[in-house]
Amino acid sequence: MGPQSSRVVELRIPSELGYEKIAREAVATVAHRLNFSEEKIEDIKTAISEACTNAIRYGSGSDARMKVVVILTADENKLDILIKDPGASGAPPIDINIPDISGMVEGKHRLGGMGLYIIRELVDEAGFVEASDEDEGNQFRMVIYRVGDHEETNTTDASKKDKGGAK
Amino acid sequence: MSEEIQVSVRDEGPATVIDLIGDVTTFAEEAINQAYQSASADGAVNIVFNFRENDYINSAGIAILIGVVTEARKRDQKLLMTGLSAHFQKIFRMVGLTQYADLYPSVEEALASLNGETNR
Repeated sequence: MGPQSSRVVELRIPSELGYEKIAREAVATVAHRLNFSEEKIEDIKTAISEACTNAIRYGSGSDARMKVVVILTADENKLDILIKDPGASGAPPIDINIPDISGMVEGKHRLGGMGLYIIRELVDEAGFVEASDEDEGNQFRMVIYRVGDHEETNTTDASKKDKGGAK
Repeated sequence: MSEEIQVSVRDEGPATVIDLIGDVTTFAEEAINQAYQSASADGAVNIVFNFRENDYINSAGIAILIGVVTEARKRDQKLLMTGLSAHFQKIFRMVGLTQYADLYPSVEEALASLNGETNR
């Protein structure tokens, strides 16, 4: 991958738990080529696993006849990941809550609901984006910069991560 | 697609060690819970969950472990976790799991911590 160039890798995986591992391996390969640090590659692998798992479980009801589409767009500075699902469960959540583990342990809250929080903590930008007219379903976008300190981008689609959040 | 997890239980001095080899995802729920229940039925007080570094753990797997934490608190058991990569140590801290289970690099170090407590 030379300077100033961008490369796009597109995957279509069956909506069945376990197939998120293909996206996980693919993104690791792309991130290695971009010379991301090992720590950041592990973060990206976990983030894409969680996002694909959400798309499989909630976005397409674990119906293997459906597909989850993963589009990895890499350039010299960043990796942009878009995950599309059929939107089987309707509108995606608006808020990303900090998991209340003590509430789970005390039986006040159901176990789970941690995926989006983990993603938000691991990547630079993350959020659901509005699908274009020809696309139906949900689209979740994540951006990871190769260098931690980057200039603010003008994106309005993806919610900016709270830089003051726990890491 | 998911690597089936292999779970085994062994006694190691002051603790019962549950070795986990493979993916810690929703597919591991039955195996992990069975191992934990087996250890508890044998009277385990200190339980070490020994992960294989770099295995795949996702939030569904973490939720299974939180379920174990819930049961362990009811039984007044101590949970320890070993073998996690630096990345998953970070994730476990991030979600707050380390409030309920101490992390150690290895089983040996976890057991040493328990022996130290016993000698005190």
